[in-house]
Amino acid sequence: MTRLVLRRLLQLPLILLAVYTLTFVLVWLIPGSPLEKSEARQPPPEVVEAMQQQYQLDNPWSFYWDYLGNATGVSWVMGDHSGPVFDLGPSLRHENWTVNEILAAQLPVSMTLGLLAMAMACLIGITTGVLAAARPGSWLDLLSLLIALIGISLPAFVTGTALLLVGGLWLDWFPVSGWGQPQHMVLPALALSLPFAAYIGRLTRAGMLEQMASDHVRTLRAAGLPERTILLRHALRNAFLPVLSYLGPATAAAMTGSFVIERVFAVPGVGNHFIEAVLSKDITLIMGVVLVYSALLVLFNLVVDFLYGWFDPRIRLA
Amino acid sequence: MRARSSRDYTCGVVKGLLLPLVFLVLVIAVLISTGDRRPRADIVIAGENEVFTLDPQRMSYLADMRLAYALYEGLLRWNIEDFTLEPAAASDWSVDSTGRRFQFQLRPGARWSDGAPVTAQDFAWSWMRLLLPDTAADYSNLFFVIDGAQSFWDWRQAQLAAFVADPWQATDPDTRTRSTRAFLDRLSTLAEASDRPTDINWAVMDPGALAEEHAALEQALSSGENLSDVLDNSPIHRSLLAALDEPVSRQAEARWMWEQVEDRFASDVGITVEGPDQLVVELEQPVPYFPDLLAFAPASPVYRPAVEDWAVDADTRQAIIESGWNTVPRPSFDQRRGIDVSADTGRLIQSHRWARPGTLIGNGPYQLDEWRYKRDMRLSRSDTYHDPGMVGFDTIEIRSIPDPNTAVLSYLTGEVDWLTGVAADCRVDLLAQKARYEKRLGEGVDVEQLATGPVPGDEERRDIHAIPVFGTDFFSFNCRPQLADGRPNPFADPAVRRAFAQACDKESIVRNVTRLGEPVASTLVPPGSIPGYISPSGLGFDPDQARAQLAEAGWFDRDGDGRPENTDGVEFPDVEVLYTTGSPRFARMAVELRDQWQRHLGVPIVLLGQDTKFFKDDLRKGNFMVARGRWYGDYGDPTTFLELCRSSDGNNDRGFSNPDVDAALDAAAAETDPAKRLRDLSELEAMLFQQEMPLMPVCQLVDITMYDPARLTGVTHHPRLTHYLWNLQPRAEVQP
Repeated sequence: MTRLVLRRLLQLPLILLAVYTLTFVLVWLIPGSPLEKSEARQPPPEVVEAMQQQYQLDNPWSFYWDYLGNATGVSWVMGDHSGPVFDLGPSLRHENWTVNEILAAQLPVSMTLGLLAMAMACLIGITTGVLAAARPGSWLDLLSLLIALIGISLPAFVTGTALLLVGGLWLDWFPVSGWGQPQHMVLPALALSLPFAAYIGRLTRAGMLEQMASDHVRTLRAAGLPERTILLRHALRNAFLPVLSYLGPATAAAMTGSFVIERVFAVPGVGNHFIEAVLSKDITLIMGVVLVYSALLVLFNLVVDFLYGWFDPRIRLA
Repeated sequence: MRARSSRDYTCGVVKGLLLPLVFLVLVIAVLISTGDRRPRADIVIAGENEVFTLDPQRMSYLADMRLAYALYEGLLRWNIEDFTLEPAAASDWSVDSTGRRFQFQLRPGARWSDGAPVTAQDFAWSWMRLLLPDTAADYSNLFFVIDGAQSFWDWRQAQLAAFVADPWQATDPDTRTRSTRAFLDRLSTLAEASDRPTDINWAVMDPGALAEEHAALEQALSSGENLSDVLDNSPIHRSLLAALDEPVSRQAEARWMWEQVEDRFASDVGITVEGPDQLVVELEQPVPYFPDLLAFAPASPVYRPAVEDWAVDADTRQAIIESGWNTVPRPSFDQRRGIDVSADTGRLIQSHRWARPGTLIGNGPYQLDEWRYKRDMRLSRSDTYHDPGMVGFDTIEIRSIPDPNTAVLSYLTGEVDWLTGVAADCRVDLLAQKARYEKRLGEGVDVEQLATGPVPGDEERRDIHAIPVFGTDFFSFNCRPQLADGRPNPFADPAVRRAFAQACDKESIVRNVTRLGEPVASTLVPPGSIPGYISPSGLGFDPDQARAQLAEAGWFDRDGDGRPENTDGVEFPDVEVLYTTGSPRFARMAVELRDQWQRHLGVPIVLLGQDTKFFKDDLRKGNFMVARGRWYGDYGDPTTFLELCRSSDGNNDRGFSNPDVDAALDAAAAETDPAKRLRDLSELEAMLFQQEMPLMPVCQLVDITMYDPARLTGVTHHPRLTHYLWNLQPRAEVQP
């Protein structure tokens, strides 16, 4: 186990470097300049040129290394850099803010929303999955299938808007937009949880059915254990493993924000930047968001590996 | 083997099912404890557009400027009913008989939000900032009408260019000549300066040899030959450049260059401080719309100690607050923490971090309490503003709601009182409901009648407004003789451009495609938006005339296949219409245009949708035949639109060039009689859109906004669309 963790931790910087390099190349290929504003006046070419120089936009090589050094804290350690340890640079589009500040303000929002959504997804998914597997072919099974179908096949802007209309406008139970109070979080978290819930529900059901048909369950039945106990204590534990391995990347994805959900519910999270920063070629912001996102993704996979060992001793011993 | 205890199994269930539940409860508990429970502001305004910057000199978007007008106060402001000018930070102003010299009397007792007096020096310094290439202000060139402003800008730009010039690195002869000239200028400036930076190692110079090399370089430059050889034989100059290139030297020299800027500005630019409350501005030539520029957000004053982040002791700070920053000794460069110079480019680097809550100091009716990035912003009434009675609401919240549908829902549920820029598709239906209500009230209802009218019934509403604004949607014709790929360009002929313009049924586009009730446009300047300007009429929809025009240009159907050919029998090329894919509006407009042109002219039209970035690139390179376009005016004068047609204008994407038009624009600039000037410009616009047709105007743009006029007043419906937040008022209860 320790070896696995160590190996993963050593992999982290390599993965991040690869992600950074690939993103950097892609970003540099986007046409246009972050200093260019759409539907607005342009400063004279000499000025644009000088600003390009100031932000090193005329020199990809030095930008690549300087940004890497600043972002990873290497420059700070070497004493070349006076700013924060991990400095993701100034936003090129929003000059009053640095990328660090933007992420500091918005990542917690996305993470809260993501965690809430994952908790909801587990609740809905596991409940519907277990119920469906308990009575395969019954109306309960059909209902869970319906929820799963809706969750997987309807895009977020449809479910989100539908929830807004029902919960926000017609029933008037929840506010339509904004963030800050618990009632703001219910609708977006629910909308965000649906596809995850659907997936978890299906995984649980499949795992449960497999377990319920297995030899050890037959033995338990023969021993006269009540069905409920078998279902919840014995089968679920084993059926949960595939769900667990799914939870890692899913939680990371949910926590780093969903562009659509955040947009539809006007949630001030990081998800916005995935699209907007790319459209405006705000290089520092793109790189910052991608770096933080990939670090989170890797770390969550690591956490899942831990939990996996905890749930299934065979893996722990291996 | 030992049997597992039931405890282990329970563990699995706890982890599997109860863990998320416990977690959920925990998260909710944390959220409830941390949720912000601020009272609702007196008015909540929401828009799709986020705010980019609160530094007025750096602004270019309306949403930013709306805030500038709340946080800062320029010398003058507009009366938002008719856009005449009113005193603001200036209590009085006058212009002399030449029309070139403006004198402003500042309002006594006006103060910054930290209590310091607003002085003439504040305006001079802010405008210096506006006129510096270092600030990279989008609107610098509007203010080049001030005497010496352009040459000040050019001087600083040349200084910076010389700083980065390296003749030995330059490869092409032009750059080499230019950078040699810049380098020599830099040397002579440094050599002549009595206070040149001491950090530079001058020891490498042997005066005699240097002078010899110098003369040789000058000689080569003036004769224009063999510069490379002379450069190769210039080891002293090269080592001098190497010495200057030491990081320490560069830093010192960049700073030394910056130290000259303020003196240069004071001596060269026609902005003179004649006392704490007297400011004189001299223009190069009479510009009747100059006062209009002073009401524009980029001319707002900013507070120097805040912008430069002066590190001063308490006594000095007290002195600044009592009598202004120009009465205390200016802190050293290092003590001005908001600025630095770049050793690479020599430019002044200004931190923009001051323009945030806590450090932003303004002289406007509101102060900034909170700004959460891409989320919301709160303003409250400023304690120090000179006319508190003018300000309507005590607190204002401005929210950013990126999704257009959510924005409308937020308005409909009452979370938002005023929604600016309604972009949701449902606006067409909402506008239809408004039209139904207006129909009930009768012809030509104004906002006042809307507000006092009966309560709207089902399927009726009075809270959405389509306000025609200071901008025009058009299609540009490429006017260059050849297309980017070298083919001859049929649109180089004005008759062809007229033909295509007359074959376009704009009524149909507005009625069936854009559907916002935009007024159709046959000219570029929105009619009725500029006091005293009478818009000429352009060419209307006339398919017969269009075909006749095309025939006059030599294109008509000679072989009966329905497609026009020229005298050589060459078919009219497929016309490519370039549009941006960012919004469906332009795609729909282009499709309708294709149908109309194909139907009326028999010319095949090809539609090319482009992402904005590629689109702008193509536009700049002239790589298009017809392309969508849009322009918003900046100041209250027709030239804010007509200058687009000047051959040298930076926004002349069409490559349109007509010496008569340029001459007419120059003549208008020199005309001293304002009435005649507007008449001349009207004639020029008539010429442009009856004959030249560099672009085909389609419609005046409208701004769709939602607010209930029975509850809120003070939102301007004038095309100039400048919203003064302080002007908003709750409407006094209307008795039924």
